[in-house]
Amino acid sequence: MDTPAAPAPLLQLENVQMHFPVREGLFLRSQRSCRAVDGVSLQLRAGETLGLVGESGCGKSTLGKCIVRLHQPTAGRILFAGTDLATLGQTALKPWRRHLQMVFQDPVESLNARHTVGEIVAEPFVIHGEGDARERRERVLGLLDKVGLPAAAADRYPFEFSGGQRQRIGIARALALRPRLLVCDEPVSALDVSIQSQVLNLLLDLQRELGLSYLFIAHNLAVVKHVSDRIAIMYLGRIVELAPADELYASPRHPYTRALLSAIPRPDPRGTRERIVLQGDVPSPINPPAGCPFHPRCPHATDRCRVEAPALRPAPGHADHTVSCHLDL
Amino acid sequence: MNLPRLRLDPLTRKKLQRFRSIRRGYVSFLILATAVVLSLAAELLVNSRALVVRHEGRWHFPTYGRIHTGKEFGLDYAYEVNYRELRRKFAADPAGKNWVLLPPVPYNPLENCHPGETFRPRPPDWARQNFLGTDQINRDILARLVYGFRNALVFAAAFLVLTYVVGIGLGCLMGYFGGWFDLLVQRLIEIWSNIPFLFVVIIVASIVPAGIGMNLGVLLAIVVLFSWTGMTYYMRSATYREKARDYVHAAQVLGASTPRILFRHILPNVLSTIVTFIPFTIASSISALTALDFLGFGLPPPTPSWGELLRQGTSNLQSPWIVASAFSALVLVLVLVTFIGEAIREAFDPKKFTLYQ
Ligand SMILES: Nc1ncnc2c1ncn2[C@@H]1O[C@H](COP(=O)(O)OP(=O)(O)OP(=O)(O)O)[C@@H](O)[C@H]1O
Ligand code: SF4
Ligand SMILES: [Mg+2]
Repeated sequence: MDTPAAPAPLLQLENVQMHFPVREGLFLRSQRSCRAVDGVSLQLRAGETLGLVGESGCGKSTLGKCIVRLHQPTAGRILFAGTDLATLGQTALKPWRRHLQMVFQDPVESLNARHTVGEIVAEPFVIHGEGDARERRERVLGLLDKVGLPAAAADRYPFEFSGGQRQRIGIARALALRPRLLVCDEPVSALDVSIQSQVLNLLLDLQRELGLSYLFIAHNLAVVKHVSDRIAIMYLGRIVELAPADELYASPRHPYTRALLSAIPRPDPRGTRERIVLQGDVPSPINPPAGCPFHPRCPHATDRCRVEAPALRPAPGHADHTVSCHLDL
Repeated sequence: MNLPRLRLDPLTRKKLQRFRSIRRGYVSFLILATAVVLSLAAELLVNSRALVVRHEGRWHFPTYGRIHTGKEFGLDYAYEVNYRELRRKFAADPAGKNWVLLPPVPYNPLENCHPGETFRPRPPDWARQNFLGTDQINRDILARLVYGFRNALVFAAAFLVLTYVVGIGLGCLMGYFGGWFDLLVQRLIEIWSNIPFLFVVIIVASIVPAGIGMNLGVLLAIVVLFSWTGMTYYMRSATYREKARDYVHAAQVLGASTPRILFRHILPNVLSTIVTFIPFTIASSISALTALDFLGFGLPPPTPSWGELLRQGTSNLQSPWIVASAFSALVLVLVLVTFIGEAIREAFDPKKFTLYQ
């Protein structure tokens, strides 16, 4: 109270775990579990965009869904503005829902094909009992305008729109309740390359206008670079490196981050950058390797890596740059 | 058409358009729909009561009204008028301005068309308006077919509603909530559906007290009790699939209540596929009722029924008009229903008409 130096983060994850039971055997009892998210701690500040990057299946969506409480995490705390949402029941959660919304990857899947765009965008107001029919209609038109759609869109059905326009509808719905945090789960990866940047720019404009915080999920570093303030790299359910975007690009510390960076095609006048090709496949989160989860594919793995899991620690000389590797690369 | 339009979403509208463009199914639908509507008005078409009686300057419409006795129309008896006799009497009176208008088939399904004569099947006799002949106790076959059809329809409709309400409701809850509830109900259903249905019907038919009798309600209850399980399997997996889709997640993130998610999101999307089962459910329930009646475990005599007529026909093969009428009627209806079902399935086929163009 007397030292209000750093503002409290908007969202703080403390050792969040999401272990799905693997149902097998005669009585479908679960002996083993799928460790989709395995102890994630991070902070998200108000107005900030945190990029979350990792290969397919590493648990990015699951982490996002834990934050908006589509999943109840099996352990850990999700502190939003100081309140732990991780253990709240549906009723207690409802007033918090307006503050955390989600934009889904595939707008075809995330819009109910049987509802008009107007009904879809008005649904948040109906659920939270805001306004009467006329007021809702007005606010829907306002939202559509905000995401760059004409008012006439309200009476049409999602299938009448292109992919980019449908994603705008999904964004309008997510913004309806004036959230403070938006989890964007690969919001452009299902779209044509030509319109990806339009939707990204829309998200950036909205952030500036509304002071939103984004958790921006992507499966490669190319997309997040332009939108993120900080970037977290995820591997097999854990954060392996977290740093400000420029810092991460300039001096990646973790072997996995380096491999991801080397996969981005870019002109390299000096030709010094060699492409690091990872050997092997991503191990199953049902049976994660002992020690450092990355060791089966790591070119620098030592005996220590095979037995001892590295903790997330600040990189030498950079308080804001954390990495989880035994070596100081 | 400028009728106030039912507000249908474009997916449904497109499916209906496709259904209408499938000629065979659409024509079958029109024929069957006509037959259903006509059977609802069967009292006006097939009935021993007259439609109109003009007697001594007064009008009478006996079809739906009270019973008129013979005395009221100058006959010498105090029980219900035989309108066919009345017609003959009025016609024989040269000066009379009285007349009777009878339905096209002037018999009801329960009466003896040849009172006082021996019981034996009689071939079609157009002069007496027994267009398809009579059965072994002198009842008009056409009348029994028409009213038997209506009974079968009532049975099928009630069967459909009851099995679907139970099956859809329970299946949907199983798919949505999953977990131990799902497991428990699944096991119970497996046990339940291993009870041999026909034995139960036979046992119940033999122990139902004579006072109640094996009426439509009891029969329906038994058949429904053993038929709702199929729908739960389908609904369970369809709901489970639908629940994992992102539009449901989006509603959940907004804080939608469980009833809202079920009724506004999941059910409308699942029910559109259920429509394709309806014709086949109707066909199978009509067959089931006919089979039970045929075996003698169905509706109690003298209820008009196709199964009973088929049984009479097969045991009186020397009177082929009985079995021919009942058999043709059954085949015709089942074929029409099947054509409709195929057309609906084609029109609603998710592979041909899907969200992912
Ligand atoms: N509801 C669930 N039940 C069981 N396992 C799940 C569930 N959801 C996800 N998983 C598992 O968790 C792991 C992580 O999945 P997740 O969808 O979070 O990955 P992702 O990083 O988002 O991948 P992608 O880039 O393909 O979207 C996968 O192995 C997946 O099989
Ligand atoms: S801890 Fe070892 S195995 Fe893991 S990333 Fe670092 S060097 Fe590679
Ligand atoms: Mg994902």
